[in-house]
Amino acid sequence: MSGTPCAGQCESPLAELERILGCHWKNIEDARRRTEATLQQISKILEGQPGPDTSVIVHGSLGRYECTQGSDLDWTFLVDGEANAGVQNIFIEIKKALFEGAQFVELGLNPPGEEGTFGALAFSQPIVLFIGGEEDSNSNTTRRVLLLLEALPVGERHVVFDRVRRNILKRYIDEDRRLLQKKQDNESRRWVPLFLLNDFARYWRTMAVDFAYKQFDRGSEGYALRNIKLGLSRKLLFASGLLACFWCDPIISKNENQEISKQSLIDCLDTFLSFTPLERIALFFTTHLRISESKFLRGTAEELFCSYDAFLGLLNDPDKRNRLKKLRRDEEELDAIFNDAWKMRKVFRKAIQDMFLGDESPLRNFSIERGVF
Amino acid sequence: MAYIGFSTGALMLGNFQEALHLMNGTSTTAVELSALRLPELPVLIEALPELDLGQFDYVSVHAPSRFSAEEEDGVIELLRHVPNDRPIIVHPDTIHDPEKWVGFGRQLALENLDRRKSVGRSAEELCAWFERFPDAKLCFDLAHAHQCDRTMTDAFRILLKFRDRICQLHISELDSAGHHFPLSYGSIQAFTEISSLIPTEAPAILESLNPFQGEEETKQRAWMEQEMKRANRAIGRGEILTGTTSTVGQITLFPAPTPV
Repeated sequence: MSGTPCAGQCESPLAELERILGCHWKNIEDARRRTEATLQQISKILEGQPGPDTSVIVHGSLGRYECTQGSDLDWTFLVDGEANAGVQNIFIEIKKALFEGAQFVELGLNPPGEEGTFGALAFSQPIVLFIGGEEDSNSNTTRRVLLLLEALPVGERHVVFDRVRRNILKRYIDEDRRLLQKKQDNESRRWVPLFLLNDFARYWRTMAVDFAYKQFDRGSEGYALRNIKLGLSRKLLFASGLLACFWCDPIISKNENQEISKQSLIDCLDTFLSFTPLERIALFFTTHLRISESKFLRGTAEELFCSYDAFLGLLNDPDKRNRLKKLRRDEEELDAIFNDAWKMRKVFRKAIQDMFLGDESPLRNFSIERGVF
Repeated sequence: MAYIGFSTGALMLGNFQEALHLMNGTSTTAVELSALRLPELPVLIEALPELDLGQFDYVSVHAPSRFSAEEEDGVIELLRHVPNDRPIIVHPDTIHDPEKWVGFGRQLALENLDRRKSVGRSAEELCAWFERFPDAKLCFDLAHAHQCDRTMTDAFRILLKFRDRICQLHISELDSAGHHFPLSYGSIQAFTEISSLIPTEAPAILESLNPFQGEEETKQRAWMEQEMKRANRAIGRGEILTGTTSTVGQITLFPAPTPV
């Protein structure tokens, strides 16, 4: 859990789901431990570096608590304060501190990707103000959506991170005009924030389109690994975002005390998004399994988490990871590692589909009514 | 019925006598006697028995916002002279030894703080303080909550968790550096968003800095009336109410003065 919704007093949703299903996902746990250790080291490296009104934020696998050997260190230096050219120097110092003495190698991490979205200075204003329209570039959308779905502040300074995230949520909620209004049948009201849902969906489709773009731009280099990641970690991210939107409805969150106010929805989303993507999904299953036994939900949860656990195990194996990274497209069909990974991807896909669209899924109607058209 | 008025320090910096004089002849029904700076406290405490507070249905005292551990005993000794039915507003970060303050019981009203402070800002941070002071009340400062979190999510969480403890409100506009100003459209709009959760009877104390200090009294009083109307609108109270007794939370505060 990246935030503190339970203030450390309650069992994590993942641990609870493991207990309910009688499973143990070793690779998920290993990745979590590795993330914690890595974050501690980064905190140490950055100690005293960031100034006020700033936060250093990690995204990617670190942001999901899924760090494996060879993960990228995707980070952003987020500024939310008065105009101050001095932040550029702080940013350079942080960059130097992270790169100096081969810190990346020591941490077992790779530098940020080539797109330039990460390892960069980012200001809160465009992230909060430009949602849609010409100014909302691919990088801006990515930063904004990832701040909600896959981000962790490093060290003690998380005030800016919390503040910017809530401001983003407030925009999506405030400008959703019919949100919380009663529908025409006058019996039910719309709890699901569609403005937010549409931006999550847009981001997911953007990732899928960019997958094709990278193939065009880089040829087959890294294709197989990107392909597997798109079908697992990227899909997980979108699924957890879609779920966050549905979680606003008390039917899904089972929160009978949910207040009918936009403020209450911001609070609900802020709390739910403080969990990691895997925890969000686990929270859905535990919440519903706690109330009533369901063979369907048990089976779906088991497939989903077991396939994801296997995926993390694969990523954490340097030989397999490198093999996938270097694999040419014409080699895929006969490659045992790729075939294994492809099977994981297929099982995960089926489980996600069942979770959102299965006949017995509590999310089915929401997915059909809100998630598609 | 809810009372509304000003902090003396906001109306007239360091001069509570002059501030009380200004309030005379306005519709204010509540006052917070401010001793935000340590040297103001002994002066205020000495004057307290003689002050004409008959106009007010609600009176509170604001303790100094900074003093050392060595000065703490002296501050507490002076604050003991404040009558039991008048809440003492304290910034939690000023408390050096919590044990020494436990004796104030329900008279102690902790205030949620602004973002320059490292404690007492959010519901989570306030939790620890109310565990130490289970009987203490809350002075809910909307401007501080708004400055910490412009989305008012923290304010929402504070209200959900501590609504029953609120004994008074602080209302004003606060910039990012912590300076108080009269209410702006932005603040009014933000406060309105959570106004339905604010206890309807909580006395409202305005900390909007009087922009006309030193100018004609009629001008200052006109501004005060206008600012109170704006504050009432911000917290969802249509008009200024006057009354005789206010019941806030579980204790009855400040019965109306007995007619002579």
